[in-house]
Amino acid sequence: MIEFRGVNKWFGALHVLKDITLSVEPREVVVVCGPSGSGKSTLIRCVNGLESTRDGVLVVDGHRVGDPTTDMTELRAEIGFVFQSFNLYPHKTALENVTLAPIHVRKIARSAAEEAGRELLARVGLADKFNAYPSELSGGQQQRVAIARCLCMRPKIMLFDEPTSALDPEMISEVLDVMVSVAEEGMTMMVVTHEMGFARRVAQRVVFMDAGAIVESGTPEEFFSNPRTDRSRAFLGKILRH
Amino acid sequence: MLENFSFRTIVEYLPLFGHGLLATLWLSVVSFAGALAVGIILCAMNLQRSRLSKVPAKIYIDAIRATPLLAQLYFLYFGLPRLGVVLPELVVGILALSLNSGAYIAEIIRAGILSISRGQVEAGIASGMTYTQRMRFVVLPQAFRVTIPPLLGQAIVLVKDSALLSLISVSELTRAGQLLASDRFMPAEGFITTAACYLVLYYGLKGLAALSGRWLGVQSVRSGA
Amino acid sequence: MIWQQFQSLIGSYPLALRGLGMTVALSLISLVLGTLIGFALGILRTGGNQLISRVIGAWVDLIRGTPFLVQIFLIFFILPELGIELDAFTAGIIALSNLAACFICEIVAAGIRAVPTGQVEAALASGLSRWQRMRQVVLPQAMRMSLPPLVGQYVLLIKDSSVVSAIGLTDLTRVGWLVVQRVPNGLLVFAIVGIGYFVVCYPLILLARRLESRMGAAHGEVQL
Repeated sequence: MIEFRGVNKWFGALHVLKDITLSVEPREVVVVCGPSGSGKSTLIRCVNGLESTRDGVLVVDGHRVGDPTTDMTELRAEIGFVFQSFNLYPHKTALENVTLAPIHVRKIARSAAEEAGRELLARVGLADKFNAYPSELSGGQQQRVAIARCLCMRPKIMLFDEPTSALDPEMISEVLDVMVSVAEEGMTMMVVTHEMGFARRVAQRVVFMDAGAIVESGTPEEFFSNPRTDRSRAFLGKILRH
Repeated sequence: MLENFSFRTIVEYLPLFGHGLLATLWLSVVSFAGALAVGIILCAMNLQRSRLSKVPAKIYIDAIRATPLLAQLYFLYFGLPRLGVVLPELVVGILALSLNSGAYIAEIIRAGILSISRGQVEAGIASGMTYTQRMRFVVLPQAFRVTIPPLLGQAIVLVKDSALLSLISVSELTRAGQLLASDRFMPAEGFITTAACYLVLYYGLKGLAALSGRWLGVQSVRSGA
Repeated sequence: MIWQQFQSLIGSYPLALRGLGMTVALSLISLVLGTLIGFALGILRTGGNQLISRVIGAWVDLIRGTPFLVQIFLIFFILPELGIELDAFTAGIIALSNLAACFICEIVAAGIRAVPTGQVEAALASGLSRWQRMRQVVLPQAMRMSLPPLVGQYVLLIKDSSVVSAIGLTDLTRVGWLVVQRVPNGLLVFAIVGIGYFVVCYPLILLARRLESRMGAAHGEVQL
């Protein structure tokens, strides 16, 4: 579904992605973790072309990303992206945020889109917030709207870029619960997160990155009980301590 | 001294001031509409990647901002006939005001668009919107709110700037004051009345700005970040 | 024809120089006076005395609400009626300084208000006097905020000085107006006048932009 083959990326002189090779199968949930600055966010931002790659091959849903013949807007419609900072449209209500792209990108009739939008907002526990503006919602609620906004496009893949790191601790679980239910329905997901509980519950694979390279990759059980490298051991020691 | 300040003369000239007030009002409205058009075009040119469209817009904006409106007004007033274009003073005046304010409005709109956070644009990109769709549904509606208060500020500036049109004999508010001053040798009566009329327009626009501020405040726009 | 006009224009260069000198003199004197008065007014405006603050606010509103041309006419024609004799130059200086002072007052006041209250409290806690607090803690921080709009205001001041040509002062704009009566080529004459202003104003505009972007960068550091 997603395949990186020898992908490299530089920011100026900084080598941020080093020879990445990774494939994600349909219905697979992959958690990407690593210290800050390790390139994990850049990695998933490449998948829908928010960042460009310089060499190597990146194939998503059968289309080569960055290839001139690939229609990126069409491909992006198939990929949901959840941002760390939510990025809800502040001038639109929750329901309008959810239905905007289905109506204008998917060209779905407004009534049908609104029906689907209400259903999805109800599913993420926001049945009473259809007409609330983002500024009237808590961080956790905003992020759930953002997830519903992606789901309403009926995507084949969903990408999560540190979806809970901007949240107050008491709001993290409400967002993770929604993500677990999406995963359990068989969505193909790449999730950048440090929430190891989430990884244990639903991930088939954990990928550990450091300094732009994939250092280790394995099942959550392997990774947590028996990290193979010093760097992953050090990292786990830091995040599991609290 | 001002002890013989003549309210009676002011009352006598009131119809003239009424006309002047209306003239200032409507020529400001027309000029502001023109300035909006000029500003939107300039801003669109300035936001393109191509230098061919960017550079002329930048040069125009800088040239306008670094020279006085009065010199620009005279440039058109004395210069256009030279090109064989003979226009009524009023039209020259409206043209000068539009071309001048347009440069400032272009910068206001640009600042508004640039104030929209990168994350908003990325959210649009990620959901598969085209450039036009992102502009239309995400960027411009938000930029519009940000630009309303400075645009009203520019409207205030434009109304006051329109006083310079009296120097090319356009009959408007300041001209009315000049007429009273020269006909009756009563500059105090003439210019104080003129000033009072401008203050009415000023406080009107200021009230509008406060109102719009409150209206925009109610639908408080806070970016998610 | 064009050649003759050029010669005639070149012939009027002493007049042009005088005009430029007048514009610079007017702007410079009003800039200094306006800045001094503007700072004083700005500090008084935020000084806590409601009455003084209101009076200054009302005066600033009056000046901001009326065209500069009308202000010049009022000063030039009405002060003599009150028994104050003044020539066009003095009238121009008074009008320009007053205008600049009012705008600068608001800029300074906004800068002072933007200094976090924690700063004042810290200065209070360390026992600084009222004047020391202003001088050592508040004003330096307010200045950083105010500098870019202040420079922008100077550009406006130079441009506004063109309006005093309406009461007969021979500044750059008035020279253009005089020359165009003899050399009927408005495009050329006022293009040259425009260049005269541009040469003075544009460096200031660039300076304001640089200050602004530098301040933006400094803000970024704080946020990190």
